[in-house]
Amino acid sequence: MADEGRMARPPSAGKVLLLTAGGLIAATLIVFGAILPAEFNQDPLGLGRITGLSRLWAPPEVELDVANSGVSLTHEYDMPFRSDTVEIPLASGDDRRRGNELEYKVRMKKGATLIYSWTVEGISNPEEFYTEFHGHTLTENEEAMTVAYYKKATGITANGTLIAPFDGVHGWYFQNQSVGPVVVKVKLSGFYDLIPCCEAGNEAGIIANVPAAEAFGPTPE
Amino acid sequence: MGTYMQKHQGHWLLFALTALLCIVFGPSAFAHAIGGKDAAFVAATDGPDILPFMYLGAKHMVTGYDHLLFIVGVIFFLYRMRDVAIYVTLFSLGHSATLLAGVLMEISVNPFLVDAVIGLSVVYKAFDNLGGFKSLFGFEPNNRVAVASFGLIHGFGLATKLQALDLNENGLVTNMIGFNIGVEIGQLIALSIILAVMVLWRRTESFHRMAIAANVAILTAGFVLTEYQIAGYFNEGMV
Repeated sequence: MADEGRMARPPSAGKVLLLTAGGLIAATLIVFGAILPAEFNQDPLGLGRITGLSRLWAPPEVELDVANSGVSLTHEYDMPFRSDTVEIPLASGDDRRRGNELEYKVRMKKGATLIYSWTVEGISNPEEFYTEFHGHTLTENEEAMTVAYYKKATGITANGTLIAPFDGVHGWYFQNQSVGPVVVKVKLSGFYDLIPCCEAGNEAGIIANVPAAEAFGPTPE
Repeated sequence: MGTYMQKHQGHWLLFALTALLCIVFGPSAFAHAIGGKDAAFVAATDGPDILPFMYLGAKHMVTGYDHLLFIVGVIFFLYRMRDVAIYVTLFSLGHSATLLAGVLMEISVNPFLVDAVIGLSVVYKAFDNLGGFKSLFGFEPNNRVAVASFGLIHGFGLATKLQALDLNENGLVTNMIGFNIGVEIGQLIALSIILAVMVLWRRTESFHRMAIAANVAILTAGFVLTEYQIAGYFNEGMV
């Protein structure tokens, strides 16, 4: 009874043992060589790195409860999206006369988003470069000005976003304390306006999207 | 001719395995589950909605390679349609029982461990097809009991997939029965295709030469599934 469903002439015991062991070994090789690297970021045999299967792995996704996150995750704007690159040359820290510090900001509406990435070139010690990431309102007459400091720190690179807490100018105070001249390369994207030469927020008159040598306009002969 | 114990060793082995599985109650984690838009649909369902759940059940079965491999193993050497019908019915009764009981009684089994045992069921059937139990252990398990028992385990696997979703109490029984009917429809669809291919294949000269290789391949795939799920258990399933 219930003997149906089997092979009429099965292989010998030794052969079955060999085949089963072979199957187990093959399966283990597949799991350790391919599945562990691709699915679990583990590479016991090193095959994942050689074959590139390890690149298939990505961290597990955790879904955010959008409705209860307390933050508005999307913002839409009437103004066009823009991107700019600004190169700001700064003299060495002991050359105050030629300017080892300045402020560079952009105009933003309340709630507007700015994505930024800046690095300082020509410097090795991150402790010798100081920034204040901040914003303030534009005021007339004796009106009080609202100021917000986002970050004060030393360091030679930063990447991030800012959502402006009020209408005004938002950006950085850069100060070079090192012994040599440096160039700060600032990449900006988002919903903002550049400030024309010498108005509040760009008192130094930095020109965007030109090489550092031309940042202050054509060099006078 | 063996002793009574030898003859019935297979049954005890299976019952022990099933019992072991039943006590391995772990926190519900997410194995390869019903996902994406289907999961969103289930979460949004409030009340009886039988046809979409039937569709989900059928889809899960037709795309569930672990269930399909087991069915291939089961019918591999079943030559009479009557036998195919008996075995598939036993398998269906088994998995329906635990699917319904698992969800309704809120029995939570760790999905990774269930899927690991489902992988072992594939190994088991392929090994049995190769005559391994007789040649190596000197006994032959009762195939019908085996298929029904593994049906119970496959049902727990199906239940974990449903439990991983955000099921609404309202209309639960109707929707679950719908899912179960869908599973059977999906199984019939898959079975017809597998059977058609098998019948054609058996008529060829090469069938007997390739039958051993094919069952070794099924056995290997079963081991892969098992080890994959165990790896998943140790990486994600232990909370």
